Amino acid sequence: MMLPKKGDPILVQNMTGRYGRLHTRLMLDYGTNVAAGAAPGKGGQSVEGVPVYNTVQEAVEKTGARASVCFVPAEFTLAAGEEALNAGVKLLVIITERVPIRDELRLVELAQKSGACIVGPNCPGLIIPSQKVKLGIMPAPSFSPGNVALFSRSGTLTYEIAGQLTGAGLGQSVAVGIGGDPINGSTPIEWMDFVQNMEDTNAVVAVGEIGGDAEERLARHIEKAGYSKPVVAYIAGRHAPKEKKMGHAGAIIYGNYGTADSKISALRGAGVKVAMTPMEVPLLVRESLR
Amino acid sequence: MRLFEYQAKDLFKQYGLPVPKSILVNDIDGIRGAFASLKPPVALKSQVLAGGRGKAGGIALVNDPTQAEREARRIFDLSIGGEKPNSLLLEEAYPHDKELYLSVTLDRGDRAFVTIAASAGGVDVESMAGKVIRRMSLDGIDSAFAIEVATMLKLPPIQVGPFVSILLSLERLAREKECELAEINPLAVGKDGFLMPLDAKVIVDDNALFRHPEFAKLHPEDEFEGEASRQGFAFVRLGGDIAVVGNGAGLVLSTLDLVGDSGGNPACFLDLGGGAQQERIEAALRLVNRLPGVDRILINIYGGITRTTDVAAGMNAVLAEGVMKPIYARVSGAEEEEARKLLAGSAVRMYSTAPEAVKAVVKGA
Repeated sequence: MMLPKKGDPILVQNMTGRYGRLHTRLMLDYGTNVAAGAAPGKGGQSVEGVPVYNTVQEAVEKTGARASVCFVPAEFTLAAGEEALNAGVKLLVIITERVPIRDELRLVELAQKSGACIVGPNCPGLIIPSQKVKLGIMPAPSFSPGNVALFSRSGTLTYEIAGQLTGAGLGQSVAVGIGGDPINGSTPIEWMDFVQNMEDTNAVVAVGEIGGDAEERLARHIEKAGYSKPVVAYIAGRHAPKEKKMGHAGAIIYGNYGTADSKISALRGAGVKVAMTPMEVPLLVRESLR
Repeated sequence: MRLFEYQAKDLFKQYGLPVPKSILVNDIDGIRGAFASLKPPVALKSQVLAGGRGKAGGIALVNDPTQAEREARRIFDLSIGGEKPNSLLLEEAYPHDKELYLSVTLDRGDRAFVTIAASAGGVDVESMAGKVIRRMSLDGIDSAFAIEVATMLKLPPIQVGPFVSILLSLERLAREKECELAEINPLAVGKDGFLMPLDAKVIVDDNALFRHPEFAKLHPEDEFEGEASRQGFAFVRLGGDIAVVGNGAGLVLSTLDLVGDSGGNPACFLDLGGGAQQERIEAALRLVNRLPGVDRILINIYGGITRTTDVAAGMNAVLAEGVMKPIYARVSGAEEEEARKLLAGSAVRMYSTAPEAVKAVVKGA
């Protein structure tokens, strides 16, 4: 996987929709080179001066964009994702919420085959402050350039924690919302491995929540392979009831599977410092960098 | 969306899976009649979605109509995980010597659907010994796959045929109806080697419901959950006295933790979603204000896509109606200063951090 650099051309799928328009403007304002839009039947239009093409293929050919931010509604996300991956998009950020599980699994399969990376669905996207690259919907003022990599299963919690880090003078090398669904296009382990090799990263913050076993797997991975940078985690949902979907499709405890306590103890067992509140995160990061 | 056992068994029948003869009864008056048309012994089963039904006393085996009525009365009145049944399933008991476990489920970590089978049924799948887990293609499985699972379970030859046919049907059901889970626990092994699903648990992928209108009318809705879902809020009732409202699932979850850690009892979880505008803020506040048991409201907003000025205007508008319970709010992020100006002199108790707002709302000061 290659993260986009300053000025790299970016594509927006369903650019002419309400959210596509709004966030095209906000991404441009941030300094990201949004170079093309794609929307079937809307070819020839433009949004904020950015040309819209009928197909992803055309947009890719005209602009060389290899990264796409997808705002296509859930019913059509599978088709839009397939279109992007088949047209040579290598980084596909899917903001869309409520995508069916089986559609997500199809996209994961296709991405693996075509050597692409999917971020999301049901996520705020990713941001690289030093490069002025924002592929998503996060509010820019919460983020600042720096050396902490942040990845999270929750949108606003990403903003909250990035805001706390920024307020404490701890900027971010990259911040990724991996998504709140049971299936993530790219997993915490993949991001962990990736940011370990990022030169401008000296600490990692992993934000999880109840549901599934991604955090337990991450803990086992760290224990087995070791990790060269300090890791701080925060897990939301210690007081959540069982068998109830807490806002995110993936945030649900079945029996004893997916509880916050299981995640926290697994991470602590692997030597990860776990914060009990978002406010504690910057303190633990500072402490581990000392 | 989790189905009730009787709904799951109706699906089983549609897919050619065997189920014991049963009758659904909605009130105590129907018990004797239903019992009379079944062959005793009969199992009375509480139709609730909560787990741990058997342990909680939600199932009884009865042999005569008087006993049936007595037990039915008890079960209708028995709350399991805060949930009382609207109906009981009366089902003919199936004599058997052995139980298996079988499910088709999403393995989140492996990002695939899997078959899980075990040669002993049981309460806790996690700890089942000799469990077989096999990854499946999204396009389905064939007989060879099912035979392999049967072989790995070391089933006697007489059970292999019935097992293969059950697994094939269960997989087809799970795939076509887009289930996160289709589970048979226990799968009883009769004396003749015949296999009979005794319980059925089906969870349908909520996000795929637009492709399955047949599930739209299945659930009796809680009044508040129904309204919240029509408004597009993520909402869960929790039973305490502090309504917790925020934007973003993770942020609201994290706020519940802060409230719980401070000794408070949340009444609900309400996620406004991204980009909520003034009318939606108002609708959410009116909804939680009417929720039984609520006597104060905590709002935690981190403005991004949601504009904090909309939140402030929404709070002012509902407060002007004069019936709102006290609102404790933390509003940060984009346009925070303007939002504070809008709220100057209003009855909203404003705090600059989430922990401060939580401390105050828990204390009720």
